[in-house]
Amino acid sequence: MRADTLTLFSEMPLHLSTSVADLVVLDDDDDGGMPADLRSWLVRLRLLEGVPFAYLVADSQLLPEESIRFFYLDRRYTDALVQGALSVGTVNSDDRTQLTAAYPAIRAELDREERNLRRAPTDPRVTGDTGPISGFLLRSQAVSGWPGLHVNAFSVGLDRDADADFPADDTRRMRLLRLERLAPAVLLCLFDGIPRTVHIEEPRQGVQFGFAAEADGDDIVATLQPRDKNTFEYLPGAEIDVPFRVGGAPGVVDIQQLERDLAGFPQTGAGDTLDAAEYALQLVRFPFRQVFGDQAPGPTIATVFRPTVSYQQLATVMFQEIDP
Amino acid sequence: MAVGEGKFVLYPNIRPVLTAGDYRFSTTQQLSSESGPSGPFDDSDLPVDALETHVRVRSPRYSLPADQVLSTFPPANSEGSYGMRLPQIVIKRRTLPWERELVVGQPDVPWLALVLIAEGEAELKLNQPVAECVSPDRPLLGVADAERGNYLSISKSKIDAIFPTQKDVRLLAHARQVDIDDTELMMGDDDGFLAVVISNRLPLPGTDAEGREVPVKYLACLVNLEGQFDRLRPEAPPRRSTYFPEVLSTVYVGAVDHDRTAMQLDQQFLAATSVEGLVAPRAIADLGLDAMEAEPRYQIAPQQRVLDAAVTTPSNAGSSVGGWSKVKGVSSSDVYAEMASGFVSAVVQPFDPVHRFPVLLHWSFTSVGDATFRSLMEGLNSGLLGTLPLDDDADAAADTATPAAGRPALELVETGHVGLPHRNRRGDEVRCWYRGPFVAHPTTDQTATGAERLALAHAADQLRIVVPDGREDLSLASAFEIGRLLALARPSITAALLRWRQDAYRLALQRTVFTAIDTRFYGGLLAQIDPAYETMSAVLSKTLVDAMVAAPERVVGSPSPLVRPGRPIKGLAGDPARTIERGFAIDEGALTGSAPMVLDRLATVPVATGAPKSTVIDRHAVAQLDAAVLDLVGDSLKGQIDVIRAARGRTTRVALNDARRRRDALDRLIAERKDR
Repeated sequence: MRADTLTLFSEMPLHLSTSVADLVVLDDDDDGGMPADLRSWLVRLRLLEGVPFAYLVADSQLLPEESIRFFYLDRRYTDALVQGALSVGTVNSDDRTQLTAAYPAIRAELDREERNLRRAPTDPRVTGDTGPISGFLLRSQAVSGWPGLHVNAFSVGLDRDADADFPADDTRRMRLLRLERLAPAVLLCLFDGIPRTVHIEEPRQGVQFGFAAEADGDDIVATLQPRDKNTFEYLPGAEIDVPFRVGGAPGVVDIQQLERDLAGFPQTGAGDTLDAAEYALQLVRFPFRQVFGDQAPGPTIATVFRPTVSYQQLATVMFQEIDP
Repeated sequence: MAVGEGKFVLYPNIRPVLTAGDYRFSTTQQLSSESGPSGPFDDSDLPVDALETHVRVRSPRYSLPADQVLSTFPPANSEGSYGMRLPQIVIKRRTLPWERELVVGQPDVPWLALVLIAEGEAELKLNQPVAECVSPDRPLLGVADAERGNYLSISKSKIDAIFPTQKDVRLLAHARQVDIDDTELMMGDDDGFLAVVISNRLPLPGTDAEGREVPVKYLACLVNLEGQFDRLRPEAPPRRSTYFPEVLSTVYVGAVDHDRTAMQLDQQFLAATSVEGLVAPRAIADLGLDAMEAEPRYQIAPQQRVLDAAVTTPSNAGSSVGGWSKVKGVSSSDVYAEMASGFVSAVVQPFDPVHRFPVLLHWSFTSVGDATFRSLMEGLNSGLLGTLPLDDDADAAADTATPAAGRPALELVETGHVGLPHRNRRGDEVRCWYRGPFVAHPTTDQTATGAERLALAHAADQLRIVVPDGREDLSLASAFEIGRLLALARPSITAALLRWRQDAYRLALQRTVFTAIDTRFYGGLLAQIDPAYETMSAVLSKTLVDAMVAAPERVVGSPSPLVRPGRPIKGLAGDPARTIERGFAIDEGALTGSAPMVLDRLATVPVATGAPKSTVIDRHAVAQLDAAVLDLVGDSLKGQIDVIRAARGRTTRVALNDARRRRDALDRLIAERKDR
């Protein structure tokens, strides 16, 4: 483009009056320093959407079966992802000069906006400076078998029984930046900050009925802990082994036998014949909550991390054909 | 009645006032009168017709409308570890399960049951005429709510094995009241009252002969029991303290008979005593077959596959003495084997009649795995990324001590980098370091403004790092390439980038030029270096003024309106001439008319006494007044202009000499004076 001197001069005063600070995005669909559609894609890229799993975890031994691995997110890595994407739009050195000038603003905008990706439409926009990002990878049958797990992270220490029902904007509750199944049995979760406590809960799809499962050697036994029908408290005493129908199909519960077993606990209401409400009361199940947090004596570095550079082993494997 | 947040109330049942069906209300009226024209009237004298009102109470019968279903569990078409959860359906209408009287005199027995069918145990026929949806020998009278429906075709032996017993049905439906504000429990109901039907069967997963887990597909059916309640087993068979579950489940009696239970008991007893003598399962089955020969009325269908399974797990069977509680003992091989063995009922058809039950709603799901959420979560290996499993238990150590064949041991350093084979551009096979975005230690670049953030790179090679041990660290270069490839893989993103570049480029170019000018301008350098500075200053000022004039609201704010309505002056209303006449206290009408007339009249007006000097206006002077006034004004203005010219500099002169300036009234006056 040719810069016409007269045009430049005539636009000068207006230019002086409009050269304000960088634009701040006020709405999800606003164009800030960059178009909104491009920004939303880059934000998702920064949260590692679409990055092949082999690049996230370089070796399967880093994430064995039935394991959970916590981590910090390397900002340099995500910055490099964005830079690679931006490099598609630069053709000549002029473009690169311009991108270099604009890059700090772009990065700051992405830092802000990546926290608004999972925001509920009614919540206020998240602004302000960004902090570190952490998260975990969970590889377990629990991910594939219980779709819709609940993950909550807190900046305070909470034990299992704490009523952690904080409102969404409470500072004790940490924002989730991403919660997604990467594979049927692999769950990726990213937090905006470093949590002290992480709760993983069984899905809460309404009230469920069923039995507790207790491991007995290699077998699993279905048991039922009777409840007081008035207070809903568990009654002391041994759990009842759930009876199954003689000659019935697998899994068919012998309800009459269960009623006779429950009759030994008068508080259940089974003493005088059980009714449907009392039966349902005994069967109500609540979701299980697993708590990850600091244990009393903190783990030492040696137990958490054990470097395994083993030159001897490596040499044996790599040079065994050369080495006599 | 409010329930309270997070709470719910359970009711054994909520019965409707009228069950479904046709009703006739008969209204009769009796009129009588004690006095009339001819004495008292009685009923027969004043007859009133009876009013017959027909009312039909409707209720779903063959299909459940979709808007009546609040939720089903497990979710339809889902796959999960549901082995310890009873399937259930939540219905919005609280009275629905009790709207038909299944057993006369027992209104608390629901007419619905939720039965759980494993694959292969029964057949679901879809979209049949409703007349076909019930067993032919038990037609349902009354109106049907649908033209076509679904039905479940199931043999009597399976009904005995799967369906709830007559005593169970009552316990499997209840009503629930939830807090109307507690959305999680209530999930979109309007009054907070719900009806719930629970199944009597756990959807256990299966295992095959080698003990591997096998997912089992289950079908949950909400069936209508109307007319066929007596086909359910009256009650569960009595229990024995010692028996051999695998064997029992393989030998079942096909025909229906009142003393069938007794025979099974005999078999159980035989089996139990045999176990004590450690007789092989095969022999027990033989005993069963012998019994069949002795009593030809019964058909016994041994299932070879399950027998095999029993042989493979004798210890397991022995350990289950005392109850059916071992899930593995009950489920495992049995479910899957029965699914696979398939259509046994077809073989014993004459003795094992097939019944049909209308299915109001059905959905299927898959149950897999016998692990529970709790056991899985508590068994998790937890640690920071980079923790290898060998740190913990001996089993895992044994696994990792011998890496899989063909794989070198994992090379992992404390920073989280992993050594990987790498063929560089010269073709050399070397090893490089790679670390993904997840690291075990906090990095130094965690703050937004941190100086440690990655500087902008334009090519992946800029991010290749050679670490002190001489190997390359390709982590960031890989990330750059992934980002680039992901952007290129999406045409819309590439287009957006290029569009943004075009727009932003133009903007940035102007901004750069202006910034350069700004610098020189404010630095004061321009005045010394550039001789055109003075001219440019004038042009800039004029442009600025023009811009201000064109859009003053953007520079100095909104201008005040050009004309502002004045305040009305009291006493000025009416003809101005009258006002002046009144003001000067002269005769009314003296100022009306042409100028000579007015002057004539004014000449005769007596002047008030005490005035300093009396003035008589010469009527000849009046004729020359205009020219004299013009001369006077023109001369004085010329003098003023000269004064202004002398006082102002050349800028003003430039402005005044500007030919493009618009002429105003003063200009015209001056020009006229010059012409004269």
